[in-house]
Amino acid sequence: MFGYMMKRFLQLTVTLFGVVTLVFFALRLLPGDATAAMAGDNLSGEALERLREQMGLNEPLYSQYFSYLGSLLRLDFGNTLITNLPLMEMLMKSVPITMTIALITIVLAIAISIPLGTLAAYMAHKGKKTLDNIITWAAMVVDLMPAFWTSLLLLLILSLSLGIFPASGAVTFEDPVMLMKRIAIPVIVLTITQLAILTRMTRTAVLEVLNEDYIRTARSLGMSEILVVFRHALKNAALPIVTVLGISFGNLLNGTVIVEFIFSIPGIGTLLVNGIYSRDYPLVQTLILFYAFIFIVVNFLTDIVYKKIDPRVQF
Amino acid sequence: MRNVRMGWAILVVISMMVISACGSTTTANKGTNTAGNAKASATGEPTGGDKELVVRFYDNPAGFDPATIFRVENENIAFNVFGGLTTYDGETGELVPDLAESWETSDNKIWTFHLRKGVQWQSGYGEFTAADVQYSYNRIMDPATASTYSAEFADVVKIETPDDYTVVIELSKPNGNFLHVVANYHQGQIVKQEAIEAGGDQVKFNPIGTGPYYVEKIDVNSEIVLARHEDYYKGPAPIKRITFPIIKNESNATIALQNGEIDVIMRSNREEELAILEKAGFKMNSSMNTMTYIMMLNYKNQYLSDVRVRHAVAYALDYPSISAALAPKNETSPAYNIVPDWMDIFTDKVPQYKYDPEKAKALLAEAGYADGINLTLLIGAVNEEYQLVQEYLKAVGINMDFEVVDAATYNQRRLVGEFDISIRAIPALNPDMLLFSYLHPDNIAPAGLNSSSYSNPELTEKLEAAKVELDQEKRQKLYEEVQIIAMEDLPYYPMFGINYYWPSKQNVTGIHINKLSQVNFYDVDMN
Repeated sequence: MFGYMMKRFLQLTVTLFGVVTLVFFALRLLPGDATAAMAGDNLSGEALERLREQMGLNEPLYSQYFSYLGSLLRLDFGNTLITNLPLMEMLMKSVPITMTIALITIVLAIAISIPLGTLAAYMAHKGKKTLDNIITWAAMVVDLMPAFWTSLLLLLILSLSLGIFPASGAVTFEDPVMLMKRIAIPVIVLTITQLAILTRMTRTAVLEVLNEDYIRTARSLGMSEILVVFRHALKNAALPIVTVLGISFGNLLNGTVIVEFIFSIPGIGTLLVNGIYSRDYPLVQTLILFYAFIFIVVNFLTDIVYKKIDPRVQF
Repeated sequence: MRNVRMGWAILVVISMMVISACGSTTTANKGTNTAGNAKASATGEPTGGDKELVVRFYDNPAGFDPATIFRVENENIAFNVFGGLTTYDGETGELVPDLAESWETSDNKIWTFHLRKGVQWQSGYGEFTAADVQYSYNRIMDPATASTYSAEFADVVKIETPDDYTVVIELSKPNGNFLHVVANYHQGQIVKQEAIEAGGDQVKFNPIGTGPYYVEKIDVNSEIVLARHEDYYKGPAPIKRITFPIIKNESNATIALQNGEIDVIMRSNREEELAILEKAGFKMNSSMNTMTYIMMLNYKNQYLSDVRVRHAVAYALDYPSISAALAPKNETSPAYNIVPDWMDIFTDKVPQYKYDPEKAKALLAEAGYADGINLTLLIGAVNEEYQLVQEYLKAVGINMDFEVVDAATYNQRRLVGEFDISIRAIPALNPDMLLFSYLHPDNIAPAGLNSSSYSNPELTEKLEAAKVELDQEKRQKLYEEVQIIAMEDLPYYPMFGINYYWPSKQNVTGIHINKLSQVNFYDVDMN
């Protein structure tokens, strides 16, 4: 296990380096830079040239690249280009918000989809198609609803008509009640987007296991249905579910970008969108690095959980 | 056994989620009702009669240093924090005294400003004096500041301060519009040396000025809070604290106003949202025809370099109909001059191009393009309006394709003049800014904003003559001729004037949007 972890750590470093390099050059291949993003309708090219000079955007690309790598090695993420704010500070503020949203969402999604999926599988197994059909179809319908549309719909219902959640307000941990109220609709939207795939995956995996010989054996030994389903079927179906869960978390982070932007939630998704719009290279680079890091960590955790669930898994 | 325990654990987690969800819902309602009171008492100051205003801010703030400030929403904050020697009246848009009580010039070259006495800086930086003016302007001109507005002071030869309350500025050539240059906008905003130095590399987010409000708190991703400057020279403002929550989505802003979470929407610009708010009985607080949107017809394009083709484009478009159909609230049309009608140099004697598709076809044929031509519109996003423009042009034989790019690319390409046709708004109060920037050959892209690469020696001559002309009447005449030539040559086709709205609750008074699309919060009050 230790050897495995060391190997994974090395892979992680190489991957991150690759991400840094790719993002660095890809960003600069885009036409227009930070000064052009600032230009709007009343700044002239001459004025922007001065600004470009000061921001160091006139330096040759390779020298920008090496100085960036150098500062990364010192774990110095530097400042944003346009607002000149320390990136570390911005990350410390926004990461907890996005992570709170993502974690609550994933817990909710698991809590809803696994029982639902298991129930659907059980019903299908028993030949009671109606409930299975309802669940499968419902999962398909919510899967087809785009996040921005669901967002606006829920905003109209939960905020304007029922007045349960506010449409605006500061999102900070200093005011946890307001924080929860503000992230409620985004969490619901994201949970909905996660439900479909998790429910369907659980249903397929459990259904497959329910048809196995050992389930029949367990039943023939007189085990109660609950024990059969939860202890034997669900446990053996866990492997594919965990795989999907790992991938889902990645999708979920993508999803936060959209809902954060719609609801003006100051998480990393909003930061990222702003950064791309304003060509704020250091900001975008740092955020993508962070996303890559999260993905790698989640993959790593998935692998560990695998091993835990099924000791036969070899790395 | 372990699995049973795990089952229990899952059950516990689920029930906790359910309980906490219910819990947060109930506290949510309470929170909404008491939010206002909680905020007021949290400051620990007396709450009686202290009004707090909540104004929607529509993007993340990008900083408030006058040397590099950009985008109108940031400029609006700076407008209330800083002061200039002159400023713009909120209702009439006229130049009025601000930190300078009076001024004189005999030749438009040497300008003497007499400063107001006893003006106090925010945050205890002492009294405002002539040295502050000198420092601020020198800072803009200093190449190390890399100010985007240094060109505005390009003609300044020297700035002298004979005493604490007098500033004498000498220009290399006369400039009849110099009072615009020293107004409370961009380069004209006066900063305090000690505050700039204390701000260090965070100076953008630590603005210290002499204006009616100071910045109490900025959370760049969440909100800006302004508090009134108790020592403001006109006396403290009626509102004690203004919170600007960042709400990017227009629908969210509308719902927040309807829910009573905010009092004012800074700039609401979607027809359907405006209709909802108007119907719901909110105050609309508008400013009509604030600036002109122009279609830049680039001379670098082989077809558009022919004046007959440019005229054909103008005759092909029925802009009043387009505006009326798609944006009756947001657009004032026709705009038959690139200079908006409220500017004192405006003239209506310019040639007008009323919708006449037959004439457009004839002009194209005359230019030798009877079979039609192909052009591209460089744009940030295609909407119904540009699709209609496309249809109108197609009807006379001009095939216009869209090239859709993101904001940074859009700005970049417009700045270097790499397009056939593109769009721009002309934000200006200073006629020099407008006419020189867009029409003078020195400002041909990428050096300046003359992105159509327009140059007409006759016009250039009159433009330069107007700038040095001391006689107001003669100057007006010269500007008039400039506009007539410009609209005959038509490097820029004026599409429409844009209208601004800051919808608010009925109890909010004094929201006057000036022609820079800014609101002076000193005038704003709540009943």
